[in-house]
Amino acid sequence: MNVRTIAIAIASFAVAVTLSAQGRAPGQQSEQERLPARLSGEFTPLAKPDIANGPVPRMPDGHPDLSGPWVGGGSNSDLEKDGGLKPGELPLLPWAKQLRESRKEEDEPYLYCTPMSVPRVNPYPWRFVQSLTATGVSTIYVIHENGDAGGVRKIFMDGRKHPPADELLPTWWGHSIGHWEGDTLVIDTVGYNDKFWFDSRGTPHTTQLHTIERWTRTNYGTMVNEFTLDDPGALEHPVQLKFTAHAQPPGSELMEFICTENNQYGVAADIPNIYREKGFGLEVQPPTQK
Amino acid sequence: MKTMFGILAVGFALVGLAAPAAAHHSFAVEYDKGKPVEGTGVISKVEWTNPHMRVYVDCTDDKGVVTTWNLELGSPNSVIRRGWKPSDLKQGAKISFKGFGGRKVLTRAAADVLTLADGRSFAGASGAPDGTPEQYGVGAGVPIP
Repeated sequence: MNVRTIAIAIASFAVAVTLSAQGRAPGQQSEQERLPARLSGEFTPLAKPDIANGPVPRMPDGHPDLSGPWVGGGSNSDLEKDGGLKPGELPLLPWAKQLRESRKEEDEPYLYCTPMSVPRVNPYPWRFVQSLTATGVSTIYVIHENGDAGGVRKIFMDGRKHPPADELLPTWWGHSIGHWEGDTLVIDTVGYNDKFWFDSRGTPHTTQLHTIERWTRTNYGTMVNEFTLDDPGALEHPVQLKFTAHAQPPGSELMEFICTENNQYGVAADIPNIYREKGFGLEVQPPTQK
Repeated sequence: MKTMFGILAVGFALVGLAAPAAAHHSFAVEYDKGKPVEGTGVISKVEWTNPHMRVYVDCTDDKGVVTTWNLELGSPNSVIRRGWKPSDLKQGAKISFKGFGGRKVLTRAAADVLTLADGRSFAGASGAPDGTPEQYGVGAGVPIP
């Protein structure tokens, strides 16, 4: 992400230089000051170092305040790479690897305004919303500005267990239960459907997916997601990934985003909507036993 | 300024276009960096809509034929966060644009540089950090470290 941001910034600077070389009337100066000649290079602003290096804010109950808004902290273009693995280290079963290779970025379900799900993020901000009730924080909600398709993820903090597997209808966000281990929020999730992709590369999973997130805010501006990915249907063995989220400046807030409002995705390139007929889900049936 | 409508095959190095990318999807999936387009016309419609906003521009050629361009930008949120206001794009206003044409529909384009009649100009209109320069090609005349 940093390399990309730098690349975009340099590219934008080059454009700014080109544009300024074209010259402008002096009378436009004040307007230029209000509106920069180019859009800010910072797509979603992050807290500056003097704030980011500050202490971890805490809730009245003493736990770290994980509210955010945050940017990042998950996969986006390539789960394997984004999670800190070397190429080929993600232990996909052969059928899953084959499926990943056959998938095309243009067919991402996310492009049709379905939820990104776990552990995916995009460059837009998101929040943990710790809902305080008479018995404490009973539920933590996860709200993404863009990419949850309006489907709010719920993390139950009231001590309940997962329902039996045969009682779970697989869903986009699954069934999440959370608890604190010291200053770390641990979220255990099962009951996912197989309809979302971990990344635009097309890394697949099955309904046997089981994730464990360990979120630790290390200072004001940083929150680490130690992520255990377990899916006996698609992986040889569980794998440990690591992502880092960065805080937005204090006072930042999510904006409204209604993905299906005017989604013209595909028209310019005549890309067929492969989901209209078949629905979302795996293109192939995985072997019953690995 | 003379109204013009054209498709330029000139090198990007001459105009210094930034490599556009998007947060919702890679613009390279739908638009072709090998199809630079530009034009000057009148804004016929502005859609501050999700997932991406659009500016429709009517361009009239020398024979009086009007072509309506459908220009795609980033999400309204991304555009507003980077300094635009809804009042900056008005229906009926003159505007020039540079961008990249659709892979199949050339009059749809990923907007990259928009220039208003008063000379204010904006680059990177559809830019966002989740698209990599690689997706659009490092040959786009943009210095990539």
